[in-house]
Amino acid sequence: MTLLVPSAARPELRLEAALWRAVSLFRLTSLLYAVVVVLASYRNYADRRAAAVVLAVMAVWTVVTVIRVPPALWLLVVDLAVTLACQQSSLLILTQQQIEAGRPTITVCWAAAPVAAWAVLRGWVAGATAGLVVAVGAVVERSGASQATVNSCVLLVLLGSVVGYLVQLARRAEASAAEAVRLRAETAERERLARSVHDGVLQALALVARRSSDPVLVELATGQEQALRQLVAKPGDVATGKSDLRLLLPARPGVEVAAPATAVSLPAQVAVELAAAVGAAVDNALQHGGSTAWILLEDVDGSVVVSVRDDGPGIPAGRLAEAAMVGRLGVASSIRGRVQDLGGTVTWGSTPGQGTEVQIVVPR
Amino acid sequence: MSPAEPLRLVVADDHPIWRDAVERDLVAAGLTVVGTAGDGEKAVRVCLAVKPDVLICDLQMPGLSGVEVTARVVPLGVRVLVLSASGEQQDVLEAVKAGATGYLLKSAEAGQLVDAVRRTAGGEAVFTAGLAGLLLGEYRRTAAEAGAPQLTARETEVLRLVAKGLTAKQVAERLTLSHRTVENHVQNTLTKLQLHNRSQLVRYALEQGLD
Repeated sequence: MTLLVPSAARPELRLEAALWRAVSLFRLTSLLYAVVVVLASYRNYADRRAAAVVLAVMAVWTVVTVIRVPPALWLLVVDLAVTLACQQSSLLILTQQQIEAGRPTITVCWAAAPVAAWAVLRGWVAGATAGLVVAVGAVVERSGASQATVNSCVLLVLLGSVVGYLVQLARRAEASAAEAVRLRAETAERERLARSVHDGVLQALALVARRSSDPVLVELATGQEQALRQLVAKPGDVATGKSDLRLLLPARPGVEVAAPATAVSLPAQVAVELAAAVGAAVDNALQHGGSTAWILLEDVDGSVVVSVRDDGPGIPAGRLAEAAMVGRLGVASSIRGRVQDLGGTVTWGSTPGQGTEVQIVVPR
Repeated sequence: MSPAEPLRLVVADDHPIWRDAVERDLVAAGLTVVGTAGDGEKAVRVCLAVKPDVLICDLQMPGLSGVEVTARVVPLGVRVLVLSASGEQQDVLEAVKAGATGYLLKSAEAGQLVDAVRRTAGGEAVFTAGLAGLLLGEYRRTAAEAGAPQLTARETEVLRLVAKGLTAKQVAERLTLSHRTVENHVQNTLTKLQLHNRSQLVRYALEQGLD
């Protein structure tokens, strides 16, 4: 069945775009800040020309990384290398006094951009690792860990982990929202199909079954009507993992089902097993019993009771054991096995002239 | 109604092919169809105008649903036989609570339909195994509610046998009761539910100040 999914059901693309826009904004703003810091200290630098060149490299690289989003993995590796190189170039540009006095490096907080980028691309572990790499670079550049450097290092690692963690959270939320949208669309589509099938094909099939005098045609139409009806019925609640037993019972010509008007919800696995046991009992009834099998489904507090009766001659009292010997109840063991696995019980009974009856009781 | 008088019937179904098919079957059996309707509102208008013995009513119709139509025509003294596709159990139950006395699957044969119409006209409940299953389920669902009608042990026993496809005669044999007693039990289970439904509607109306 092809299901229509509205185009709005791909919000993950919008989330990705928003995340990379935020990273780009960080790159541009931190570049601007670096320019201001460099201009302020420009006159005191040891190598002013190198400062200008490094600033130009930073600007070009910022443009490259802003254009190429979402970035490939190799681009982020190069990003980290470029950033480290720019960061270490401070050793040439700043005077020894400036470095020891803790003046800002030439990259300032621009060096944190790849940390955010790694966190967005690969999650919190990658973010924290990238933060650690840039932090080690900062320590090397300062030739030691002053209080201020340690603070920056911790901030870099924290930035990587926190951004990465939040991004993972957002992606998960986005995925479950998309799943909810998909399920809603699927349900709506199923309901639309069910309405259309109900108003058209099902009516026609029922009419064919009713007006035809050809028994083969009647059986075919009835069988198809019931199969189609089950197909378009809601099979169960995906969210709770429960199935409505009523929709799993064998519905076909020669089988009459009596059930409550409301759903008989059971864990999906239990419902399937129980329906299989009922199916076996119905097959058995139609093979050895008579022309019709009746299924009564009851939801009695604490347990589900399913009775299957046929309109055959029945088994005279005291002869159930004998019947078991000759195979009439051969299927019984398989039914009993399935039901016992569910913690339930099976009882057999027969009233002469009123067919044979199987009662299956399964606790909830 | 004297037996000589032919039954006067109205058929309501929004599918023309179905409406015609049901009408043909009824006419072929010598019954008189005095009106047809393709939607719920028209069904009510026709019933008001011609006062039929029985309305044979589809459940899913545009405008007023079969349940609403039933609730409006039963007070006029019209008996309602619901004709439903399978898989509409909730609606069937609501229609029965609203006063419909019979329910037949659309796949039933013409002979069954005619028989059901005759029995409905005679005031007898047309009790299929499916309907018995619905009633059992409904009594069990509301069992814990204060003021909800309860089944006696005997009524439960009878309903369960009917739901397993036994005829009234077979039920009588098995429980060593008279045929008449079995039919009374069955009728009672239906009447109790309808009375409760009506009293609930009245209480609701009084609470809302709509008396």
